[in-house]
Amino acid sequence: MSAAQPMHNRVRASLAPYGLLLPFAVLFGLFTLYPLARSLVLAFQQTFGPEATRYVGLANFAALLKDSLFWVAVRNTVLYTLGSVLIQLPLAMILALALQSKGVRGKSFFRMLLFAPATVGVAYAAIMFGVMFEKQTGLINQLLQSVTGRGLDFPWQQEHVLWMLILASLWMFTGFNMIFFSAALANVREELVEASTLDGASAWQRFVHVIVPEIRPVAGFVVLMSVIGSLQLFELPYLILNNSGGPDNRGLTIITYLYQNGFENGDLGYASAVGWMLATVLILIAAAQRVIAARRSVA
Amino acid sequence: MLSLGPFSPGAWLIIASAVVSAVLLAMAKPPAKSEATMWTFARMHALMYEPLVADWNKHNSPKVEMLQLGLPAIERRMLASFFSGTPCADLMEVERRAVARAFAGPIESVGFVDLTDRLNRDGLLEKINGPSFSPWSSRGRVFGLPHDVHPVMLGYRADIVEAAGIDVAKIETWDDFERVMRPLQEMGGKGERFALSMWETHGDHLEVLILQAGGTLIDEQGAVTIDSEINRRVLVRVSDWCAGPDRIAMDAPNFTASGNQLKVAGKVICAFMPDWMGDVWKHEMPELAGKVKLMPLPAWEKGGRRTSVWGGTMLGIPKAAATSPERFEQLYAFASHLYLSQEVARELYRKGGIITPVKTFWNDPIYDQPDEYFCGQAPGRSYINLAGDVPLRSSSPFNARALDHITSALVRLCEERRSGALAQDAAKIETRAAELLKLAQAQMQSKAERNVFLSHAAEASAGHSAGVSEGGGR
Repeated sequence: MSAAQPMHNRVRASLAPYGLLLPFAVLFGLFTLYPLARSLVLAFQQTFGPEATRYVGLANFAALLKDSLFWVAVRNTVLYTLGSVLIQLPLAMILALALQSKGVRGKSFFRMLLFAPATVGVAYAAIMFGVMFEKQTGLINQLLQSVTGRGLDFPWQQEHVLWMLILASLWMFTGFNMIFFSAALANVREELVEASTLDGASAWQRFVHVIVPEIRPVAGFVVLMSVIGSLQLFELPYLILNNSGGPDNRGLTIITYLYQNGFENGDLGYASAVGWMLATVLILIAAAQRVIAARRSVA
Repeated sequence: MLSLGPFSPGAWLIIASAVVSAVLLAMAKPPAKSEATMWTFARMHALMYEPLVADWNKHNSPKVEMLQLGLPAIERRMLASFFSGTPCADLMEVERRAVARAFAGPIESVGFVDLTDRLNRDGLLEKINGPSFSPWSSRGRVFGLPHDVHPVMLGYRADIVEAAGIDVAKIETWDDFERVMRPLQEMGGKGERFALSMWETHGDHLEVLILQAGGTLIDEQGAVTIDSEINRRVLVRVSDWCAGPDRIAMDAPNFTASGNQLKVAGKVICAFMPDWMGDVWKHEMPELAGKVKLMPLPAWEKGGRRTSVWGGTMLGIPKAAATSPERFEQLYAFASHLYLSQEVARELYRKGGIITPVKTFWNDPIYDQPDEYFCGQAPGRSYINLAGDVPLRSSSPFNARALDHITSALVRLCEERRSGALAQDAAKIETRAAELLKLAQAQMQSKAERNVFLSHAAEASAGHSAGVSEGGGR
């Protein structure tokens, strides 16, 4: 064996990981990094498709800050996010705790039942809720009519579009998040729970002081993913509201607004500015979550 | 034991599948490429054109292959093609709102061939109904052959109206309409029957009424004209219909089971009926045959316009397809054969109830044939009688957004009236309508002014606003 052979092997061994990473790096660069960089350039241009472009500096961002429709979209998206996080996650946690209780029979069946809506897809859920909430003949309106006695065409749907979206997402994602909480609860150390019970802690005290600290990493992840997912809401309103913002733009979300500007009006520059505004918010939220989590783990 | 080398049986299976499919794909014969393709979005159009295309292909060149695609698919492919040069058809039949999106950039970036000079040379600008060109024209240039006129009438339940002894001939204005139809509502039970199928959330209905009244959202110069005296008048009146104490409107949406059910049950008496809607009703509500009649729209004032316009289609030739003057001539020859043929005009009416925009065919007796669905009326002749009075429409890319803004204003006005915030006080309602229109105008104008490619529109909008604020309304 020559002296150069081990050297050659060492070089090969040190290059091998890069070789393995290369296909991913090429695809990531081509389909993620390049579009990301291109969208940043576009955010400073006014466009009519990618061919007709004019450099407009910060004009897109300035216009966005003054654009009342953009702020309507922001308000709707934030309300939806709050509705989703503040209703959906506690509900998912309650369901997970209920299914964790010792007396409950058929846990697997109920888990499957609650998780099932997450498997049907947004398009199905949107069509189903669209039919249920249909004016006059929709199930919900018929139900409301029998309870409230209001006329068949009482236009409550057009006033509460956001609630319709929140209800649809509750149905779809509560069970999905429940699975995460169930998995986290299954990993809570039994001896801690038993010790706190022996020390006379109430159920609420056990939950707050024993269970929550134990499931915090998973809960933090679920909250973060729910917030990001909610801020990126698109398919549900797109399908239920037939690619519009709904009556008086009450169902207009940030991504729907981005889509309308970029792909319907051809103004990719303005759409990119909307996208980068949202990306900035998402990055800040993710960073805040990391900082809070890091502080807690140090404490 | 059989050695499978470095791979597992599963991996070998994947490799074998990949090799077999690659070989099959390589062996597959590619479909014969047609000499020209045409996209259409309506099944009825495709069925109508099929024999004509077949006949054309027997004797002429290029041989045309017609494909029916969904409207959103055509719209996306059209924009993708204009924006980034992806392949598209040689001839595209496109709906009005989709075409407007192609007009948002510089005039030289419009992806369709400018047909103005050619139409002028062929005398078609005179031969075809003038207003039918407006949705396909931008900055004075025409980019497509018009397919239709689409005048709007009012369809009504003749069985109910006539049983109540009402003579619709006495209805000349919307005031007359309300007065004459209100007793019918009361006969049907309070809150159970309404005179008109329309709702504040349906921008299409609002646009029909605004155009009929002579209003615009974007004018011919591209200026935003939402905040106008005419639009305010329409807004207040429609809010009366939907949310006033003497409400006459009900939401019975088209193309939905619930809307159709309400119409069949006689819960709603009248509905806006462009010529193409008759065919929709015949297919979706055959049980109404012999129970429906047409009347001209009531005017906004005595002697005013008795029709409006709703919908529209054109046939355009993408620049990418007209690779040479000879190629353009070939495609144009096919397009005019299809759109300007009397045979197509007849089929268009026979199968879709749509009247042709070619004025020279309007004396065809086919339009005088009685239609059993409409109680023996001749809808074709009724629509043709109104065709010349169809209002002009803007082809502005901002039009759809402007309609959203004014519809939002109407929704708010109606809801504030329902909530009691405006206390049904006429002066307060007028003032609030004016405020909402001003807001909608400002929102739309800021969008229009941003478009550096349509700077003339921004200047015109600024001029309109100045006129409004100086003159206190137009």
